[in-house]
Amino acid sequence: MAQVLPSSGSIIVADWHRCKDSKEYFNKILHKKRRKNFGLLESPVMPPHVAVDTVHYKIFLSGKSGVGKTALAARLAGSNIPNMHYETTGIETTVVHWPVKLRENGRVFFFRLQLWDCGENALRRFDHLLPACKEQVDAVLFLFSFTDRTSFDDLSNQIAKWTGAPVGRVVKLVVGTKFDLFMHCDVAERDVTNFQETWSVPVLRVGGEVSDGLGDVAPLLNCLAEHLWHQDCVTAGSTRHHSQQETATVL
Amino acid sequence: MMLQHGSTQLLCLTASSGVPLFTRGASKQLPFSVIGSLNGVHMFGGGQGVVLSSCETEGGGKVVWRVFQDSVMLIIVSGGGQDGAGDIKEEEVRLQRLLENVWSCMVLVLGQDELTNVRNVERLKRDLRSCFSLIDQLLEDRQQGVLGNLTHCVDSLLPPNPTLLQEALDSFAQAADSEFGCLIVHGRIAAATEKWWRLAPQEVVLLSALIRSLTASGSASCDYPVFLPHGSPTVAHRLLRFQLLPGADVCVLCGPTPSLHSAESGMVGRFWTPLVETLRDCLAVGEHSLPKSVSLHPDVLALLLINRETRRSVSCVRTSTNRPLGDPPLPSKARCWEILKLFYIFSTTRYFNQEETLCVSPEERAQRGNTEDFICGFSHQPLQCYLVTEECKSYGLQTPQHQLFVLAPLSVPTFALRGVATQTLSDIVAGTGF
Repeated sequence: MAQVLPSSGSIIVADWHRCKDSKEYFNKILHKKRRKNFGLLESPVMPPHVAVDTVHYKIFLSGKSGVGKTALAARLAGSNIPNMHYETTGIETTVVHWPVKLRENGRVFFFRLQLWDCGENALRRFDHLLPACKEQVDAVLFLFSFTDRTSFDDLSNQIAKWTGAPVGRVVKLVVGTKFDLFMHCDVAERDVTNFQETWSVPVLRVGGEVSDGLGDVAPLLNCLAEHLWHQDCVTAGSTRHHSQQETATVL
Repeated sequence: MMLQHGSTQLLCLTASSGVPLFTRGASKQLPFSVIGSLNGVHMFGGGQGVVLSSCETEGGGKVVWRVFQDSVMLIIVSGGGQDGAGDIKEEEVRLQRLLENVWSCMVLVLGQDELTNVRNVERLKRDLRSCFSLIDQLLEDRQQGVLGNLTHCVDSLLPPNPTLLQEALDSFAQAADSEFGCLIVHGRIAAATEKWWRLAPQEVVLLSALIRSLTASGSASCDYPVFLPHGSPTVAHRLLRFQLLPGADVCVLCGPTPSLHSAESGMVGRFWTPLVETLRDCLAVGEHSLPKSVSLHPDVLALLLINRETRRSVSCVRTSTNRPLGDPPLPSKARCWEILKLFYIFSTTRYFNQEETLCVSPEERAQRGNTEDFICGFSHQPLQCYLVTEECKSYGLQTPQHQLFVLAPLSVPTFALRGVATQTLSDIVAGTGF
């Protein structure tokens, strides 16, 4: 069944990080112009008069070994991207806090996106890891690398595994990594367009130098947030619901 | 000369057939013919009933061979002349320790079965890639303030409020159905359950190294399958790690339950939120490892204190001590860490006992006999030693329970060193009960 997808920017304000009124929210996820690293006991705290709700989501990163799952998680969280490739030999999760403004009523939420990353070889060697990643998952990002054709060709297999009854409803997005290495590009633009039409799954692109700003991660995070919110609305049949929704307690 | 000065290269081959499995370290790889010869000469010795364990090159380089479990051969080649490295003997100790650690970390990640029952070499090669992150960390050994890889006594941090943290950790571990838990602050163990301390010292050190590398990635939580090289080499446990605050991580070793998701959502906040301030106090201790209540003698530049019973160590390098004008410059912080390591090897190879390492078989120990030169010549056990170099003065002392290594500036008279060291030991022990 093809999903009915929200068009980009129809639910949340796109490029909100560029607007003036977003400053006080984005300042909470920055420290000395870099992204702030939050421990599990911490979260962005707004002053008492601006109570902001936080919504929690679990996102699984899927893709073959070396495609850039760990690097994507680091990029989205604004932490240091490893300059050498090492296999991830278990599950590693990364938390991204991202403020989002709804177009409809101007309400602001902090999205707490927990990215679950697990090396393909570890998944194969240890049976318990994949079920742990699937437990209560809200979205899957399917990664392929623009420099590795086989990772692109394998996408349909990967997506098929996540379609059907046992998994339940999950948001699916495709992310093409290493988009900047056009000299070694192995996946043509035409193929990507075809793929997008066949599967009706949005394809996003990342790669290149990491700037200190929020600009290079905003499109992906906003797109993900939009789809997650849309899915919640469809599931609940209303605009205000999430099982794990909690009010940020403000001291 | 095979390698550049100061670089170390590790080769791994199958012991039976000499098929290369991987090489790590050194930017320029040794040519295949050299690797083949290094394996060949060891094999030739084997055929003659001789175990070739190490050799030196004319340029000060060193090669050490070790076969583990009759299945994997590790060869380490050092270019020698490493910045400030002492003589060839210190280098050999360093390399032997490195080989033991590399083997154990291969077992930690892959389990012993996979390494000893090799059915498919290509598959083993691929699986071994999962160990590279830890192996490279061991080879580079750049992390300042981490001496456990060498001493096999785990780097600890003594928090200002140990009881509160210990209670929280014990109940957290219990809730996670685990007897093995530890709290790591700035890469050093600040609290651990009783059972955690009963793991083999080398396991504690390697788990700390693994946790440090996971912490460095900035991730929030982990679920890592780990084998314990001594306690459980064939059955994997799950290492769950949670970043409570940046720099403070709690870990537990579990069986099949609880899941990472349920432990994180159901237990982390419940047990640790009340302790946020205590954890922040603990983070404030920083790389000094000692609470502020312990005031160190002003002449102490750096120290390493080992508790021989618990196999724990604390160490610190002090950044600024007030130095009168005209005194010779003090060694840099990085250099102090380096000297501390070298002085530790110097003392333990010549005078003191190096704490027993479980992974060395008795035959091997006899073969290597680090302390033999001195012990053979004297019937007594030295208690103190010192060394004066162009950079600083070093003093070591041992008691039945402790070993202390202290660095002091050149301006301190040599006769005063003993006083500085004994006072430092009693200050720390009295102040923290370490």
